[in-house]
Amino acid sequence: MKKKFLSIALTAAMVLSLAACGGSSADTGSGSGSSSGGGTAITIFNSKSEIQDAFVELAEEYSKEKGVNVEVYYSNDTVAAHMATKYAANDPYTISMVDAKDVYSLGPEHALDLSDQDWVKNTDYAISVDGQVKGFPVCIEARGVMYNASAIEAITGKEFNPDDYKTLDAFTALLDELVAGGMEAPVGIMKEDWSLAAHYFQEIYEEQDDPEAFIQSLYAGTADLANNQKFNDMMDTFDVLMKYNYAAGQPVAAEREVSEQKLAEGEIAFMFGGNWDWSLIKDFEPSEKMGMMPVPQNTTDGSNEKLVGGGSKYFFIDSSSNISAEQVQAAKDFLNWLVNDEAGNKFLTERCALVPAFSNISADALDPLSFSVKSYADAGKLIDNYNYDPDDHYSKVGASMQKYLAGQIDRAGFAAEVESYWSSTTPVEH
Amino acid sequence: MNTNTMSYKTKQFLMFAGVTTFIFCAVVIVPFIYGLYLTFTSWDGVSVSKPFVGLANYAATFKDGAFWQALLRTAIYSVISVILVNVVAFILAFLVTSGVKGQNFFRAGFFVPNLIGGIVLGYIWKFVFNRAFVSLGNALSIGFLSTSWLATTNGAMLCLIIVSVWQYAGYMMLIYVAGFMSVSNDVIEAAKIDGCTNMQTIVHISVPLMVSSFVQCLFLTITRCFMVYDVNLSLTNGEPFNSSVMAAMHVYNTAFTYKDYGTGQAEALVLFIVCAIVGVLQVYIGKKAEVSA
Repeated sequence: MKKKFLSIALTAAMVLSLAACGGSSADTGSGSGSSSGGGTAITIFNSKSEIQDAFVELAEEYSKEKGVNVEVYYSNDTVAAHMATKYAANDPYTISMVDAKDVYSLGPEHALDLSDQDWVKNTDYAISVDGQVKGFPVCIEARGVMYNASAIEAITGKEFNPDDYKTLDAFTALLDELVAGGMEAPVGIMKEDWSLAAHYFQEIYEEQDDPEAFIQSLYAGTADLANNQKFNDMMDTFDVLMKYNYAAGQPVAAEREVSEQKLAEGEIAFMFGGNWDWSLIKDFEPSEKMGMMPVPQNTTDGSNEKLVGGGSKYFFIDSSSNISAEQVQAAKDFLNWLVNDEAGNKFLTERCALVPAFSNISADALDPLSFSVKSYADAGKLIDNYNYDPDDHYSKVGASMQKYLAGQIDRAGFAAEVESYWSSTTPVEH
Repeated sequence: MNTNTMSYKTKQFLMFAGVTTFIFCAVVIVPFIYGLYLTFTSWDGVSVSKPFVGLANYAATFKDGAFWQALLRTAIYSVISVILVNVVAFILAFLVTSGVKGQNFFRAGFFVPNLIGGIVLGYIWKFVFNRAFVSLGNALSIGFLSTSWLATTNGAMLCLIIVSVWQYAGYMMLIYVAGFMSVSNDVIEAAKIDGCTNMQTIVHISVPLMVSSFVQCLFLTITRCFMVYDVNLSLTNGEPFNSSVMAAMHVYNTAFTYKDYGTGQAEALVLFIVCAIVGVLQVYIGKKAEVSA
């Protein structure tokens, strides 16, 4: 009997240890940086994978020049999840690069007031929480349809001007022309839930007359999505994209890398995305003439002439007692250096190829997609991001949209799933 | 020297088990109790304050349909995987102990997949399912191979099961090999002399004598399957349309991605209880079946 008890106890202990392991599978991120001794040491969390290498190099140079030890970390985890594990461990970074919504959620408790900083006057994109500037905008990013003009012109034989194709009818006619000209399927669609829900579907909220009121009506369950004009416009366009999708047979098996390569090399001509996609496209052999255009729609509200975007990725400085006064000062110096020092500017615009969010920074050496974004931004043709989605929005709505993409539900069913998601979700306070 | 005093026993215990007990408490018992405390709060994982909410998280857990679906999915996945892993492992073990040429090489070969981490393994197989099989299917016009299995609900589950079997069968094989080796040759010979066929020898002599191997293997595979996370993450990441999210992944998403730490922790506790019941029950039944020669 005793032996039996012992074996059961041992089993329980082993299960317990497995459960403990299962519960703590967060990764710690990969650290790298300089190790020049002495001086203050600050840590920076970078959440843009494409600039990690450049950032690590910069940290080494900056450390040598300024005598401040800078270490840059990156994590594959989603930003919110990674910040949650760091704060759960009470081990925050000095400076963290997060998404806009994280500044709102983390800001009140964890971010330092930066209202008095020199760079504030040079930007329209800083984030304020409770009247205090807390988020330093890293760059401007925008969403739209990426195009490969070289591939299009090779078939049509005339110069491609995206302004000619802002309505869905004109766009469809062009697609037909491309198909007739030998490009079997001119469109790619990213099936990732964040692309479908947080980037494409998100525009349905953002292009409403009053996005905030529309979201509130979704929470309240009073919005009629299936009969909403913007919803139907965007879904009409999505149907066309689906029809001409190169992976139409199995759209949810399309791999992002493959699609980007096809776009870069001109095998397909259009894909919905954003200027950050350049980080993948540049690894292939991109055609000379590429760019971004608004999502074509049969509408007269002007939204088919604008990209959707704004400030993207924000630095905030941790305000907890874990960070000493010297570290805070070093962190503030670093942010000012990015904006006001020529080397800092070059880092943002040339080495990382980011569209600067500060009016005093000029940018001539941008990649084609970012160049499009900058020209739309300079012309005031950007529709603002809506930054207050619930944290599970991209995953839940993304799953529904994947079903729609795979042909498992129709438009009415999709609208119903999205409506039921919103009405069963607790509103985000902001 | 009196060895029956309390202080002597305490010293003995501390000397032999003190360090391990301390570590076990520090990394398992304490976090477990702290986690239990967190299930009664509405902590979001980031905030400084942890408001006490009583049993609200357990109520949320019971109302979270996606969690119960994930748990059911995990149970189905576990049952199929456990059976397949053990059948394959047992057959492999039998083959590599039956005296085929180069059996040590085969033993090492079958064990290797277990040395590759789950994340890497998931990415390798993702490539195989998405590209290699599809190219092969298209080239040879084999219908069921020409589309990616990972794109369909049932296909994604099948892929997860295949990869798990491939990963664990080698490890379990080693345990079964040890089981086969522990059966003394005397009894095998005696059975042969009495006129047993090979099959009869295995079923009536070897298997009953190596029940402890089965108990161990079943325990290991059941718990591992219920806790699967790494392969799930890198192979399917819950796609298509969140239909391959296993229980552990749902718990992680709820706690960290959806920032609902308390509910995630409560769901983790439910998962733990389910695993504990299954594991203990299985060991209890297995022990009963054990015999000795």
